[in-house]
Amino acid sequence: MTTPAAALVGVTQQFGGFTAVDSIDLKIPRGRLTTLLGPSGCGKTTTLRMLAGYSAPTSGRILIDGEDATRTPPEKRNLGMVFQSYALFPHMTVADNVAYGPKMRGVPGAERRRRAGEALELVGLAHLGDRKPKQLSGGQQQRVALARAVAIRPRLLLLDEPLSNLDARLRVQMRAEIRRIQSETGLTVVLVTHDQDEALEMSDEMVLMRAGKIVQTGAPRDVFPTPADRFVAEFLGYENFLTLADGRQAAVRPEHLRVVPLDTPADGAVALDATVRDVAYRGVDLLVTLDATDPAGTAVRLLADHRTDAAAGPTPSAGDRVRLLAPEARLALLPALSEPELDPVTEGIS
Amino acid sequence: MSAVLSRTAKLRHPVAGTLAVLGYVVMIVPILFVVATAFTAGSTLRFPPDGLSLRWFGEAVAYSPFLEAVVSSLELAVLATGLALLLGVPVTLAIHRGRLPGKDLLEGLFLSPLVVPELVVGLALYQQLMIGLRLDNFTTLLLGHTALLLPYAVRVTGASLALADPALEEAARGLGASPLRAFVTVTLPMLRPGLISAGLLGFVTSFNNVPLSLLLQTRDFRTLPPAMLDYVQQSYDPMVAAASTLVLAATVVVAVVAERTVGFAKIFGGINR
Ligand SMILES: Nc1ncnc2c1ncn2[C@@H]1O[C@H](COP(=O)(O)OP(=O)(O)OP(=O)(O)O)[C@@H](O)[C@H]1O
Ligand SMILES: [Mg+2]
Repeated sequence: MTTPAAALVGVTQQFGGFTAVDSIDLKIPRGRLTTLLGPSGCGKTTTLRMLAGYSAPTSGRILIDGEDATRTPPEKRNLGMVFQSYALFPHMTVADNVAYGPKMRGVPGAERRRRAGEALELVGLAHLGDRKPKQLSGGQQQRVALARAVAIRPRLLLLDEPLSNLDARLRVQMRAEIRRIQSETGLTVVLVTHDQDEALEMSDEMVLMRAGKIVQTGAPRDVFPTPADRFVAEFLGYENFLTLADGRQAAVRPEHLRVVPLDTPADGAVALDATVRDVAYRGVDLLVTLDATDPAGTAVRLLADHRTDAAAGPTPSAGDRVRLLAPEARLALLPALSEPELDPVTEGIS
Repeated sequence: MSAVLSRTAKLRHPVAGTLAVLGYVVMIVPILFVVATAFTAGSTLRFPPDGLSLRWFGEAVAYSPFLEAVVSSLELAVLATGLALLLGVPVTLAIHRGRLPGKDLLEGLFLSPLVVPELVVGLALYQQLMIGLRLDNFTTLLLGHTALLLPYAVRVTGASLALADPALEEAARGLGASPLRAFVTVTLPMLRPGLISAGLLGFVTSFNNVPLSLLLQTRDFRTLPPAMLDYVQQSYDPMVAAASTLVLAATVVVAVVAERTVGFAKIFGGINR
């Protein structure tokens, strides 16, 4: 197995008495895109800043390319960082911003300009080199920040919520753009986000954090259907939680609950009888809120997406007695009720 | 009820407007009198002037005590401003970027000269430095003026620094700049407008200072304001008006330069932050 591009070993960061990052172990696989995902304040930025060398961990070690870099200052780490504010130098042109890194490395003028041009080319802004950052749109500034970080040929590219200042459409475009740049350059990328869709769409590897700890890691395809606990499940958009007849906990997404007439056979699905409480029209589907009794006999409030096309069967309305079907394959089984997972962690979930 | 309220609100504007105009009149009219009398052809300081001439300007420029005093004032203003900036910038950096525990205290300390009466400061300097330590009066004046300008330097450069994103320096470091190089290539350019404003403001403040300069003057080294006061006590001719007009003209030039390069809003925004 090759050495990871970077690794955190038992890294803790304390601010005063507060532990922002709590003894985490993490390997960043080479040439892939890893996201740090979690609600606001869970320690994502703190982790990234320790990796970049802007703050030293209280304890633990940071390895880059297998070598201890715990005390290495940022200028000696050769990592490309894109700040949430972009941090473009306002007094320099776009080209000078991008050429800054090569300049600090003593790359001669002509070569420096060539590299800056190349990096700007990569983000599609080669024609704007003479502008000042203030004369660019937010999306363009974001690309310049990317180009500047890439121009130093960094060992890792670190991105702190790079898309959060962009409008919704641009954000979705830039997801693909960052993926393209990653695969064209083969760079190892670490991206911080609190947006689960962004993480699912962009990651090779997702790292879910909560309160300074890592709660689950893995590829989106592995993490999404099998959240490690209720916190992860809620964070990934599982809205419904129930206890099965054998006492196991399960989570199910609203789009996987079918609302059908009372007499419909269960056909191997978990079936619950329910009363429709409320129906909200959302165009492609209806959001149906139901009061049900789960197989363990507990009263639960559930949400189901009911498609508006004819194939979905009769349209439910408030007060109807209906049957809910949850296909076994769609149930995410959670570990038995354990203490911290129970408190509703909803902060930062949008 | 609401009609009454809105009427009083409307009334307030004309009142404020009138007061503002009155304020300007009170400030500017005496200055206009001085300027007008400077152009007199007669030999008394009187309004309206007797005829029109530039003779008193010629006399003022040729009067050697004034000339020496102007040179002294310039020398002192330039040196004091330079020193204040040299001391003020590190203090600003410590306040805005450092991780000192007593930041607020430090900031308060460096702003205190703004509120201590200058006569008191002057007297203290006179007793402690000139009498106590036997420093010559130029050194004492230089120290006094530097202390006087320091709060301006800290405040005004601080205002530019407060506007700059701290991530800029981190970005520079991440791109391979040593702390010194990051300071020179990124922080210093951010500070430039503040340095220019603080420099101009400091220069003018020192040049026009009366209390310190009056208390700490000697025959060997005296700045323009005490020299002019001295002159007025002896003779009452329009030469002083001419000298004042020249100083005024120079100040206006400085102000225009300041406005063109960084803008007054920023300079004063810096002080009242
Ligand atoms: N310099 C600091 N001093 C004190 N506390 C800090 C400092 N930096 C971060 N913290 C605290 O550490 C915790 C983690 O902060 P961090 O910025 O890493 O969160 P985050 O996951 O990036 O959140 P967000 O999504 O809001 O950016 C927060 O509670 C924050 O208040
Ligand atoms: Mg953050």
